[in-house]
Amino acid sequence: MATDPVTQEIIEGKLIATVDEMGIVMAKTSMSPVIYEVLDFACGILTPKGDLVAQMNGITLFTGTFGAQVKSLLRQFDGRIEPGDILLTNDPYAGGTHACDFAIVRPVFIDGSLTAIAINVAHYLDVGGAVPGSVPPNATSVFQEGLRLPGLKIVRGERLNEELIHIIRENVRLPDIAMGDLNAQIATVRIAEARIAEIVAKYGAATLSAAFHHILDSSERLARAAILALPDGDYTAHDVIDGDGVSDVAIVLTVTLRVLGDRLEADFTGCPPATDGPINCARGALQSAVKTVFKALVAPQAPSNDGWFRPLTVIAPDDTIFTARKPKPTGWYYEGSVHASELVWQALAALRPDRFSAGSYASLCATYISGTGMDGLPFIHVEPQHGGWGASADWDGTAGLIALTDGDTYNYSVEVIEAKFPLRVTRYGLNIEGGVGAGEYRGGYGLVREYAVLAPGCVVHASFGRTLTLPWGMAGGGPGSANAMERVLPDGRIESRGRFTGLQLDPGDRVRLVTGGGGGWGDPARRDPAAIQRDLRDGVLTAERAAREYPQAPTRDRP
Amino acid sequence: MIRLATDVGGTFTDLIGYDEVTGQLFQAKVLTTAHDQSEGVLGAIAAASALGLDPARIGFLAHGGTTVINAITERKGVRTALVTTAGFRDILEIGRGNRPDLYNLRFRSPEPFVPRHLRFEVRERLDAKGGVVTPLVLEDLTDIAAACLREGVEAVGILFLHSYCNPAHERAAAAALAVLLPSVTVCASHEISREWREYERSNTVAMNAYVQPIIRRYFSRLKAALAEQGVDCPYYAMQSNGGIATFAQAIQRPLTLVESGPAGGVAGAARIGSELGQADVLYLDVGGTTAKCSLIRNGRPRLDTAYKMEHSRIAPGYPVQVPVVDIVEIGAGGGSIATIDARGALRVGPQSAGSQPGPACYGRGGMDPTVTDALLTIGVYDPAAFSGGTVPLDTGLARQAITRVAGPLGLTPEAAALAVLDVAVANMINALKLVTVQRGHDPRDAAFVVSGGMGPALGPRLGREMQARCTVIPPHPGIFSAWGMLAARPRADFRTTWFAPLDDSALAEAMAQFDVLRAEAVAHFGRGDRAAISFDLSVDARYRGQEHGVLCEVRPDDAVGSFAERFHGVHIQAYTFRLDGAPIEITGLHLEATLATETISLGRVDPAGRGLAASRKGKRAVWLRDQGWTTCVVHERALLPVAEPMPGPLLIEEPTATTLVLPRQVLTMTETGILLIREAD
Repeated sequence: MATDPVTQEIIEGKLIATVDEMGIVMAKTSMSPVIYEVLDFACGILTPKGDLVAQMNGITLFTGTFGAQVKSLLRQFDGRIEPGDILLTNDPYAGGTHACDFAIVRPVFIDGSLTAIAINVAHYLDVGGAVPGSVPPNATSVFQEGLRLPGLKIVRGERLNEELIHIIRENVRLPDIAMGDLNAQIATVRIAEARIAEIVAKYGAATLSAAFHHILDSSERLARAAILALPDGDYTAHDVIDGDGVSDVAIVLTVTLRVLGDRLEADFTGCPPATDGPINCARGALQSAVKTVFKALVAPQAPSNDGWFRPLTVIAPDDTIFTARKPKPTGWYYEGSVHASELVWQALAALRPDRFSAGSYASLCATYISGTGMDGLPFIHVEPQHGGWGASADWDGTAGLIALTDGDTYNYSVEVIEAKFPLRVTRYGLNIEGGVGAGEYRGGYGLVREYAVLAPGCVVHASFGRTLTLPWGMAGGGPGSANAMERVLPDGRIESRGRFTGLQLDPGDRVRLVTGGGGGWGDPARRDPAAIQRDLRDGVLTAERAAREYPQAPTRDRP
Repeated sequence: MIRLATDVGGTFTDLIGYDEVTGQLFQAKVLTTAHDQSEGVLGAIAAASALGLDPARIGFLAHGGTTVINAITERKGVRTALVTTAGFRDILEIGRGNRPDLYNLRFRSPEPFVPRHLRFEVRERLDAKGGVVTPLVLEDLTDIAAACLREGVEAVGILFLHSYCNPAHERAAAAALAVLLPSVTVCASHEISREWREYERSNTVAMNAYVQPIIRRYFSRLKAALAEQGVDCPYYAMQSNGGIATFAQAIQRPLTLVESGPAGGVAGAARIGSELGQADVLYLDVGGTTAKCSLIRNGRPRLDTAYKMEHSRIAPGYPVQVPVVDIVEIGAGGGSIATIDARGALRVGPQSAGSQPGPACYGRGGMDPTVTDALLTIGVYDPAAFSGGTVPLDTGLARQAITRVAGPLGLTPEAAALAVLDVAVANMINALKLVTVQRGHDPRDAAFVVSGGMGPALGPRLGREMQARCTVIPPHPGIFSAWGMLAARPRADFRTTWFAPLDDSALAEAMAQFDVLRAEAVAHFGRGDRAAISFDLSVDARYRGQEHGVLCEVRPDDAVGSFAERFHGVHIQAYTFRLDGAPIEITGLHLEATLATETISLGRVDPAGRGLAASRKGKRAVWLRDQGWTTCVVHERALLPVAEPMPGPLLIEEPTATTLVLPRQVLTMTETGILLIREAD
């Protein structure tokens, strides 16, 4: 059967309202700043076969990961899923991302039959392993990256499995926070079940199923039309990852995109083998990375579902940096996967300048500061850094914006940090020293965030990418500037680092988290002199730099 | 005396006046004068005077307007500078750096209201407890003041870190700048907000400074003009928190006026609830381009603790830390356009035909089918009597427009019109659920009050689907915001960020803090120590480790046990679970202070001349679901009998709205003239 367009619209509206409601409850009840500040979680509803039909996303990292993850669970349990079950998995090699991301999956049974599946994936602040936060930047094996729970029933017959809870509590550093998040996740999938039951009560299971199919099929149709509008051909791009956390060796990447009528192939053949360090991603995260940019291409504002991605094929041999397998570490998978996104983005930018900007600072530059707080209790402060985005064909890039891998991700309030942690922020402002890519439209500025440590024995680890290979410019625009994690020594000297573990800091020490500016778009000589004047007046462009980058800039002799 | 309210909207300026002695009611509607809204206000008073209103007898005037919001949306505020702690000049520009439009890879953050060259840094620093790390260097202000003069700055905002817990440095800097810049408006962040989060507070103070000179000039023009008309009484401005403030108070915090129109409606809905003995009200206002809904609990509007201007699903917007009633707005109103989207689904809104060209049936050139066209097509409106006969409607044009979606849907125009209404109703229900279910409340416990020009036509249907206890159509639903302003009381909200783990001494200390806030409230109203002020005390509380808490009432006699039990209950209601072992923390204090004053009384209607025969004005065929064209009796609201149950289907007409009562519903009018619609069974 098919739904009528009115019922279709009403059911779609209810599905979106449901995933939104799951998201609101998750963000408001979580005890983990990674969730309530960074929104490092996502919620979704899938068909009984595991095709995503509605998703609430705080960030892009979970774009299209749900389908593979749920299908892998359906295969694993092969008919042994019962009403009253809730499943848990955090397996990076089965459609997941890294061990920190716990997926809670509720098969929704109505009148005894599987009608839909609700999922909530959330980043746990700590899941054990070698370092607080569970993601050592120099890990060489997944066994250093915390507890893995690949596919088990955390709830059976509506009863929480106390033994599993005991295992989790005993294997993570902050068990109360973990339990708070588990509670919140379970609450959200139960809400989804209640809302799906309301839809079925009103419209019937057959209508809901037909609505699911329509969502998938109609999205597929639109995606195919968008691809068909692109000129057929091969489009390639190259990039470099600046070190894997274990070695500083440049990792050279390539992609070939093939537009084949109404299909798109992204072929990563030729990318290097999985590295020793943890910036590898497994196949699920690669899919997600490519889907993120594919979605930006075909339908940036439309609600996400698996139908959009049917015309997309991702090709990559096993055991590469983007298709790592056990036991290769994946703790910092997004430091690798963002480059898969950027390769596809770079290959497409010239085809659709109305959809894409030039290269950005790209790396989340996630920073973990841990130690003992003023209250004598251990603390972990985790924050991604915001940075400069590239210019577009018709405007300057945006300053201080979160990287592609995240999304509705807030920077951490200085006042909140200082009230919670033994840290003082001494500067938070635009990274004018580093500068941006020049162009007819210039890149957006990165940021500088400087911390003074107030308590003894704090430890920092971080993974900053794009410390050498600069954000790419477009159409003659210049490259952006580099990211860096800088330690300011008491004598004023600066040590610059990228990916590192276990930097000890004591009172008086300062760290400076620097993000780069975005790439420019178009020939700098074509930049409007008034825009150069504005940047000079605002103090974001120095006269020296203007003279170097823009031939039309006013000189001191000719004010 | 006469109580008068004027509500300046985008298109019309509404006036409602109530003579407390005679019970006479005055209404006027004139075009809004965009260049100076006070002219429209005076025009409305003149129009009401022509109907017999004596300006000299006006004893109370409440004013709601869009001066502040227009200055912001049109970026027509004054040239504004911002002074910050050294190292933090860019906070206002960085904002929170979030990218809610996830797949838009050309995303732009909101432009700051102060450009970088007008953002200045001063050496000073406090720590998170308010202790001085670096003393304030007042000399830094000398150059800043000179630069402001050079740049023609008219207003300066000040944002120092941690001023929410120690405002001393901000105060000193503000005093120094006031001396250096005597003709410039100076505004320090702690005067507007005592809450933490530096970006939100800096944006609040910057936007407040940006509009302050504008509103000061506007109110002084309005006062002079009113005085000239012989209106001599206290003037009040409608605030976004559902209460009113004197003009002088509003000038200090003009941002509190951002949502004054909608807040007027919410205040009115609360008043209707108390009249009906219903402490919980779910309120919906359906206007031309949007519908707004809000929940009133225990007779008090809920406040939105994270209000943002120009915010949407894909736009971060501008957060402001001022008390604004919690309103969920959706793009579904009378002018919302129905389309078949690329995926083959019927969509209604958010695009709107607005008032120009307006719905197709207005005959002003609009071709797209709208909700109003759908209502006209199924016969809800009398084309000759719409909006009191001022806007004649063209049924043919409405049907023609509806046909544009009927064809692709394979439906008759009537069935397609019903389909358009189905989708519009479903959108509104999702929004209504957002304010109730998603905030932990059950819509079935609340009275459902519906206003706005389009509201009464859809209200009974919405009420049925929400399973509301009863649907309530208040008096004057088409100018209900103005009516609500007559029901509002002077109100001030004091919110502060304040931390303590829950224990007996924390509760005692919180009460001491509340005493300080109480004293501020008493001073705010300026009616002396014995003024009749009602105080409601609540705290933001959470389980340790959570970021977001819940607002929970606190009582002077609370002990840890009694407070914790109440908190657990509120948490369950909001989030479905409680954590019994987890420690509880207090993170903020909230004092709501309301001055007990007389507000509009809902007089008993005079039964003389009323009755079923008197009110009956004819019949009209309405296309109803499963029934097709059905003859409905049409009644004039002004002549309806009191307390006489009337079974649907029925149409009730009045100058500003038409109510459609569905089959199997029963309408009753209360003795105060409120329409109640309940399911028959």
